[in-house]
Amino acid sequence: MRQWVCAAVLALSCPAMVEFADAQPSPQQKRTRPAAPAQPKAPLQAPPGTPPATADQKPPLPPATADLRETVQADVSTRSVAITSSFTGTEIVVFGAVDNSRQPSAESGLYDVVVVLEGTPSRLVSRRKSNVFGIWINTQSVTFEAVPSYYAIASTRPLDELADPLLLRESDIGFEQVRMNLIKGWETGLTTADLAEFKSAVIRLKQKEGLYVQEQYGVVFIGRSLFRASIELPANVPVGPLVARVYLLREGQLLSTYTARVKLERQGLEWVLHTFAFEYSFWYGVFTVAVAVGAALLASALFRRSSH
Amino acid sequence: MAHPPAFVARRARFQCPVQDFVGPCASQTCWPNRLQEGLAVHMNVYLPIAEMSANVLVFLGMGAAVGFLSGMFGVGGGFLMTPLLIFSGIPPAVAVGTEGAQIVASSVSGAIAQWRRRNIDLMMGTVLLSGGVLGSGIGVILVRELRRAGQFDFVVAVSYVTFLGAIGTLMMVESIGSIRKARAGHAVPQRSAGRHAWMQGLPFKMRFQRSHLYISAIPPFVIGAFVGVLAAIMGVGGGFIMVPAMIYLLHVPTSVVVGTSLFQIVFVTATTTILHATENKNVDVILALILMVGGVIGAQFGAVAGEKLKGEQLRFLLAGLVLLVALRIGWSLIAEPGDLYSIATGKLA
Repeated sequence: MRQWVCAAVLALSCPAMVEFADAQPSPQQKRTRPAAPAQPKAPLQAPPGTPPATADQKPPLPPATADLRETVQADVSTRSVAITSSFTGTEIVVFGAVDNSRQPSAESGLYDVVVVLEGTPSRLVSRRKSNVFGIWINTQSVTFEAVPSYYAIASTRPLDELADPLLLRESDIGFEQVRMNLIKGWETGLTTADLAEFKSAVIRLKQKEGLYVQEQYGVVFIGRSLFRASIELPANVPVGPLVARVYLLREGQLLSTYTARVKLERQGLEWVLHTFAFEYSFWYGVFTVAVAVGAALLASALFRRSSH
Repeated sequence: MAHPPAFVARRARFQCPVQDFVGPCASQTCWPNRLQEGLAVHMNVYLPIAEMSANVLVFLGMGAAVGFLSGMFGVGGGFLMTPLLIFSGIPPAVAVGTEGAQIVASSVSGAIAQWRRRNIDLMMGTVLLSGGVLGSGIGVILVRELRRAGQFDFVVAVSYVTFLGAIGTLMMVESIGSIRKARAGHAVPQRSAGRHAWMQGLPFKMRFQRSHLYISAIPPFVIGAFVGVLAAIMGVGGGFIMVPAMIYLLHVPTSVVVGTSLFQIVFVTATTTILHATENKNVDVILALILMVGGVIGAQFGAVAGEKLKGEQLRFLLAGLVLLVALRIGWSLIAEPGDLYSIATGKLA
């Protein structure tokens, strides 16, 4: 039984593996940057922390010039997180390296790195209570088409220090940039101020549930080019694939981005029960009742024997 | 090595907590803390439908406590368990759906015992049950629609306040009266309820042999349906409505009331569980199993404790408990919530 389940899980997961760790060269990478003559030129050598898993997706290093662009490569510690019956949350480490790093040491703080870990978007309803004849009851609601179920930001510095709001908005960094589109054909009659209230309530409540997290000093450089960020996934994280986006910035300018994916899926007994409950709901109900009757009969047999 | 030591320790704890105990002690996590965290990791179980991690000990204890009370008072305990589950963070819909399965477990052995003693009016039970199945079907659809409309939590709270408040008040008044009379030295007379003339005129008359009744099948069917709706919406067995209704409205002899109501509860909650699982997908079998194990253990001790108390004292205490639950839920309706906003995600959001 167990082997069968494992084989089924593997079979399901294999096609998804192919799309892992694909580098997405961002449009910003094409932007030519003025050379920074004041910076000491980085000695040309292989970056110390190049992750082996992503080795094949970089072109060979260009020859040394004065205008060597810095790019970022990254990966996650666990590309596939298993939700089993002992799942109590986990920690995802996003690590990466700055190619052609020009900073002399880890402490010099020339670069800023922002890591955004985003969960699968899903439909979300936000409701507002008001007092009707002394009783608090939901009276208004707004339905958003797709809101990230989970959203974590880790950065080397507070976001407002490392870049101007315009850049953050363009790059989808920050809670204010979380995409919340109303469902189509939604006639609310709400003012924009009301809608903003609803949106900020979503972020506030998600933060309270531990699903929207911000770590202002969560990314640490541990070498001239190597950095890491650890992000906690809480036990109540909604199941589904996660996307990790890594942004490299210098002096408020976006240099490079990188995307990695994390799979989050049920395994073992959790997978069996969840599939059972959602694919064969009727039989799952019958099974639950059978479990209940069996437990009751077993208990009464046990206790009758002990009482005699 | 580039990784800081804290990171290594962290990963190791999740892979093998025992090995981590013997390793060198980091300054901020000394072994008592680690032991506690290690235990917490092992005592937690991820609930597949509620999609959250829950502490097994907490829910075992909750099941045992409610099982103790239900064994002591001879009630199903759904009206205590469902609010407790909701207060402890289980989504209300999952609490209601899962509690049905637990009531099946806690009622089956009682129903079998009553069956052996021939205390079940099968005819009456079948009429009540067919009403109950219809009612539970309506209730399950109501739960789905109310969840869509965002009013499910509110309706659950209002139903609890209404029914528990009414039943608790009636029981409190009755038990205080009995206790006073017993103290004054009078024998407690059984209240003889008046006959309802309008019920005699209804069609579909049936003979209920064990109950010595020849009445229309409509009143028991309607009562069964009503209790079925409540069972599906409130996550209860409905004995607290069924027993008084059978005694005072249908005049079923008290000797068969408990057995027949248990018979009906087992099948109606089983139907409700299957329908909830099919329609609302809110039945968590792991949570139900934890509650069942706690419940059957607690009920054994509760039954022993119950034998040491007099009937009217038991009813007084039960009435107090019912009223406390009603007040607690009522308070959540009228107190200004800490946050006026709430969010819901998922397919039924």
